[in-house]
Amino acid sequence: MSTTALTRPGERDRPVIKFGQIDWTLCLALTLIASAGGLMLFSVAGSSWSPWAAKHFIRYAACFVLMIGLAMCDLRVWFAMAYPVYAVGLLLLVAVELVGDVSMGAQRWLQLGPVRIQPSEIMKVGVVMALARYYHAMSPASARMSWRLLIPGAMIMIPVGLVAKQPDLGTSLLILFTGVVIMILAGLSWRIIAAGAAAVGAIAPLMYFFVLHDYQRKRIDVLFNPEADPSGAGYHILQSKIALGSGGLLGKGYGLGSQSQLNFLPEKQTDFIFATLAEEFGFAGCFSILFLYGAVIFMALRIASTSHSHFGRLGAAGVTATFALYVLINGAMVMGMAPVVGVPMPLLSYGGTVMLTVMIGFGLVQAVRVHRYSEVTSGKGALL
Amino acid sequence: MSEPSIFFSDVNERQGVFVRRTFLLGGLTGAGLMALGGRLLHLQVLEAQRYDKLADSNQFNYRLRPPPRGLILDRNGVVLASNRPNFRLLVAPDEDMDINKTLDELYQLVPLDTSKRGRLYREIKDSPRRAPVSVMEDMTWEEFSRINVRAPELPGVTADMGEVRVYPYGGAFAHVIGYVAKVNDRDVKAAGPNPDPILYHPGFRVGRQGVEKAFDAELRGKPGAQKVEVDARGREVRQDPDGDIPSIPGKEIRLTLDADIQNRALEVMGEESGAVVMMDCRSGDLLCMASTPSFDANRFVRGLTGPEYRALSEYERKPLLDKALSATFPPGSTFKTMTAMAALEKGIDPNKTYVCNGAWYWGGRTWHCDAHHGVQNMHDAIKTSCDVFFYQTALAVGPDFLASVARRFGLGETFDIGIPGQKKGLVPDTAYKKRNFRKDPVWHPGETPSFGIGQGYLHLNPLQLCVMTARIANGKKALNPRLVKSIGGQELPSGAAVPDLPFAPEHIQFVRAAMAAVTESGTAAAVGDLGLGPIKMAGKTGTAQAHSYGSGPRATLHLGWELRDHAWFIAFAPYDDPRYAISVLVQHGGWGASAAAPRAREVMRVALLKDPDVLKRITQPLPPVEPAAPAAPPPAQTTT
Repeated sequence: MSTTALTRPGERDRPVIKFGQIDWTLCLALTLIASAGGLMLFSVAGSSWSPWAAKHFIRYAACFVLMIGLAMCDLRVWFAMAYPVYAVGLLLLVAVELVGDVSMGAQRWLQLGPVRIQPSEIMKVGVVMALARYYHAMSPASARMSWRLLIPGAMIMIPVGLVAKQPDLGTSLLILFTGVVIMILAGLSWRIIAAGAAAVGAIAPLMYFFVLHDYQRKRIDVLFNPEADPSGAGYHILQSKIALGSGGLLGKGYGLGSQSQLNFLPEKQTDFIFATLAEEFGFAGCFSILFLYGAVIFMALRIASTSHSHFGRLGAAGVTATFALYVLINGAMVMGMAPVVGVPMPLLSYGGTVMLTVMIGFGLVQAVRVHRYSEVTSGKGALL
Repeated sequence: MSEPSIFFSDVNERQGVFVRRTFLLGGLTGAGLMALGGRLLHLQVLEAQRYDKLADSNQFNYRLRPPPRGLILDRNGVVLASNRPNFRLLVAPDEDMDINKTLDELYQLVPLDTSKRGRLYREIKDSPRRAPVSVMEDMTWEEFSRINVRAPELPGVTADMGEVRVYPYGGAFAHVIGYVAKVNDRDVKAAGPNPDPILYHPGFRVGRQGVEKAFDAELRGKPGAQKVEVDARGREVRQDPDGDIPSIPGKEIRLTLDADIQNRALEVMGEESGAVVMMDCRSGDLLCMASTPSFDANRFVRGLTGPEYRALSEYERKPLLDKALSATFPPGSTFKTMTAMAALEKGIDPNKTYVCNGAWYWGGRTWHCDAHHGVQNMHDAIKTSCDVFFYQTALAVGPDFLASVARRFGLGETFDIGIPGQKKGLVPDTAYKKRNFRKDPVWHPGETPSFGIGQGYLHLNPLQLCVMTARIANGKKALNPRLVKSIGGQELPSGAAVPDLPFAPEHIQFVRAAMAAVTESGTAAAVGDLGLGPIKMAGKTGTAQAHSYGSGPRATLHLGWELRDHAWFIAFAPYDDPRYAISVLVQHGGWGASAAAPRAREVMRVALLKDPDVLKRITQPLPPVEPAAPAAPPPAQTTT
């Protein structure tokens, strides 16, 4: 079709046109990552579709369809849903505090009829949408430095506090970082950023000694010397490094990783799937996957910066920031550069909730791309 | 919500800020990814080898395999101790094993003793991580395959084929060879601060007694290892036969014993308690060293139950005691050979006579003899075993000289035969009394006559009496007994590489001639005929009091078993060319001539018939038959 066709009023709202506007390269990159994850899950299960690989592919297929569906939703709908989603997420977080299931020593799950949900996952998207909406209507001056910034600050800190109390330190930090990134992208004054960084630098040691649980402190300690407790707290890091290092340049071959196949590697299907991949496909495999992640982040940031609406820009960028943080934290953890926190490798690791969150997020990114020329709240155009 | 109005300049400004900062964010993310890539490069390319090794040591384990224990053979290569395959059921516990459930399943599969269940449970529970515990030994092939089929569903359960020690002759060599048993805490402690890991292997056994204990290090060999791939729990996933380290079998030990002679000794001893020791009196090799009654060493390998052990240890004839080495008895009249020897060396004329009236009055008391022997010279006194003669001869010799001669013949000594447990016994003299009797440190003359007939303080073990006999028979050398012929093909020094006896050969010859008279017409005339033609045996009987009769008669056989006399017989043969010397003890057997001598004769016959040189003398070829004279009378079968 010619570009002139798209200039006609209403033309861009036709579903066929919208469908064509979806960033299919991004879709391909995401699918490649998810497929690599499926392959690895097949391998670590001892060349078996069950219990992980088949479910992983089926979930991805469902999530992919959902992403396409969400991409077609008008950005104004996203905009309108921002606060309600945030509010529901907040309610559920409070609910989980009161009646949630205890799993692995932490209250994270909420049973709603037949569905078990993790409200903290909803909050990851919820915070991004709510912040994007709030900043959408904010003047650059106030976004830089004003008392009004206390409102987005509170929007971030309330869910962060609730999630941290579960306790799920990994997710709460992720939400915090995402929120901060959005604030920075929205134009936060460098002075505040510098002051904040200084404050964090001052508080971190105090956190280490007075706030962290014993097991969390240990995880940080072993980071510097995993050999000190090779069968205890240092076990994860040590075995993961062995898996990575023994993979070498080209890996041991598909299905032949001794570390994962013989269960030396803990959490081999979730948090440490990347180590399995590293062992069986070596540096070549790891580099390819990191390249794909880099490509996804690059494409998503480009989509964010080409959007005509501030909501779209901040929304897409926020989702991308969450995604990038996932990748960097998990990567650093697997390689022994960060403490072991329960952060999976997005799309590669087994786990439905995280996949759903990530794909909903990319639904928003794709919607921003599809509706990149529409302004969401210029008075007349507003849906709600 | 009241929307603030946003102007175009604002829109442009915040878009500009966003794009710049997004660019920065992208850059930071890219840097982060680069850092990850760099770390990967470091781990996977630069340090790959180091981690490769670590992964291997995770993945592969070496499982120790006990080496085959060295064989023990007799002098002709007959196997006295070997190994046979043993199907074992092992359980290697790990942290998430439900021991009770596993045991339930095993009890359904194989016939396990329900009474041992509690012990098994504790053994499995207390075993160090992954160290397998042997639940059942000696499974049948059916049970072995049943376990192997079910093993995949029973984590930690394996059936394997090991080796178990077997003693084909059961009890015949039990005291000499000993037996093997499971390693216990004391063995581990004895191995020092860094014990050989093979000690923890459930199939490994250590020697407990006799040759098995004394030569444990030689018999043990070097353990091999089986390379296996394991998972993080230590469970075996796969075997890698190429990576196995073969074990080095233990050394073969060849004894000087002869299985035929030893078995015959056990046969003729029957249920009697006692010992038979035979030596080659040219080389010193021990051909027979049996103690009866014995016990089945194979039962000890399996592990005795409480009642079994009690039955053995409480039996009055003491099967567990090695009476050839570890028990000492008064030698009785067999010692008269020494008294005679000492007298000759002292220069006493052997033709000097004493008159025996069945009793001798001296020192205010009556000294009994068992018969009225009449006028006796030394030769006759040995032949008839006249106590009266030797009471007085001993007085003439004196205790210290008698003791010194006896010691030269090996009495009261221990010999280096490789295995522990020899009791020295006692050859008394005045120094001994001074040392050991605080209140009465003086040797009284009245103690000498008893000493001269092998009673009193004197007590010896059967090995010593055999050595004495062998030295008399050899006539020249102070032979030492040898039990172990070779270790792993390495010959041990012979017992004949020793200095000569410091005695006049004609004196020894005198004693030998007197011993020949004993079997010809003396106390042991009944066993004089070996039934082997020209081959004659010389010997000496002994009947040693096991308790004091006071002044009563020595009617020994009516008494209870534990009060009867000890019966002794020492002998060597052939008389004209001594090759074998024997000592036989029948504890509380009564008369030496009737209880010990016939048994010695039987054992001696086996040894002689096995000797090709002796056999040649017995079975001389028939003289050529004259074809012209078919009616000639049958020639005598043997000639001298």
